[in-house]
Amino acid sequence: MFIINCPYCGKRDQLEFSCGGEAHIERPKQPTELSDDQWAEYLFMRKNIKGVQFERWNHTHGCRKWFNMVRDTSNDKIHATYKMGEKPPIK
Amino acid sequence: MLNFNSPIQNEKKYNEIKITEVEPTIKINLRSNKREFSTKIGKILSILPPTEANTSSGNENYSLLWLSPDEWLVYSKNKNQNFKDQIELEKKLFNEISKINQGAVTNVSDHWVLFNLKGNKIYDLLTKSCPFDFNEFKKKKGSVSQTIVNHIDVIIHNNENNDLNLFVRRSFSEDLWLWINDSASFL
Repeated sequence: MFIINCPYCGKRDQLEFSCGGEAHIERPKQPTELSDDQWAEYLFMRKNIKGVQFERWNHTHGCRKWFNMVRDTSNDKIHATYKMGEKPPIK
Repeated sequence: MLNFNSPIQNEKKYNEIKITEVEPTIKINLRSNKREFSTKIGKILSILPPTEANTSSGNENYSLLWLSPDEWLVYSKNKNQNFKDQIELEKKLFNEISKINQGAVTNVSDHWVLFNLKGNKIYDLLTKSCPFDFNEFKKKKGSVSQTIVNHIDVIIHNNENNDLNLFVRRSFSEDLWLWINDSASFL
């Protein structure tokens, strides 16, 4: 259990949120020109690293808005949360 | 709301807690990210939609709750408001907003069931099964929170000191009503 700072509503319990996987994955501009492997790479392959990771989260039981989060997967420390479309505050 | 059947139709009193179902009341969901939206709502309802998160605005007839940066819920403070007036309000909002693509107006009167909780121990009751921190919420009149109580999604509106309105989806209302009554009897 940890507290997440929703960029819209403020600090809330983790129970109210759901994780939407890795963030900042760009959709290929010309999907028809990709091979099956490249398309599968875009569609399914995720990093799932141990350490600082950029993720998409949704405040499911609150404002229902999507936002991004920088989280250390080894200790669940949340470094930052920021709105969709904004640049990550941490590199 | 033509054949309105309340799922609860009850009022219960416990030690320092009074729980009532406040139905029928009109509830309208408003969604928009257009600039003119606020002015239009101001003209129709005489209330401006709150832009600050977790707050509300209101007058003697209606309350307007912030749900997200582009979503609000308006509900009538008068139980048993004239049905014609309700239809008129919905029509007016629809014509001024939805019809000209300024946003979306949805009548959710039968989607939400409204409970009123009064008494000194209402926050003790809610914190039994709610992860939300009510410390700041209860100090500020008009605060709004969307959270979960007993695993059920709710919208909580702080009317005044120790008096709050709780919205729950109709299909979950009986379950939550039973849980509230059961928990209140142990306080």
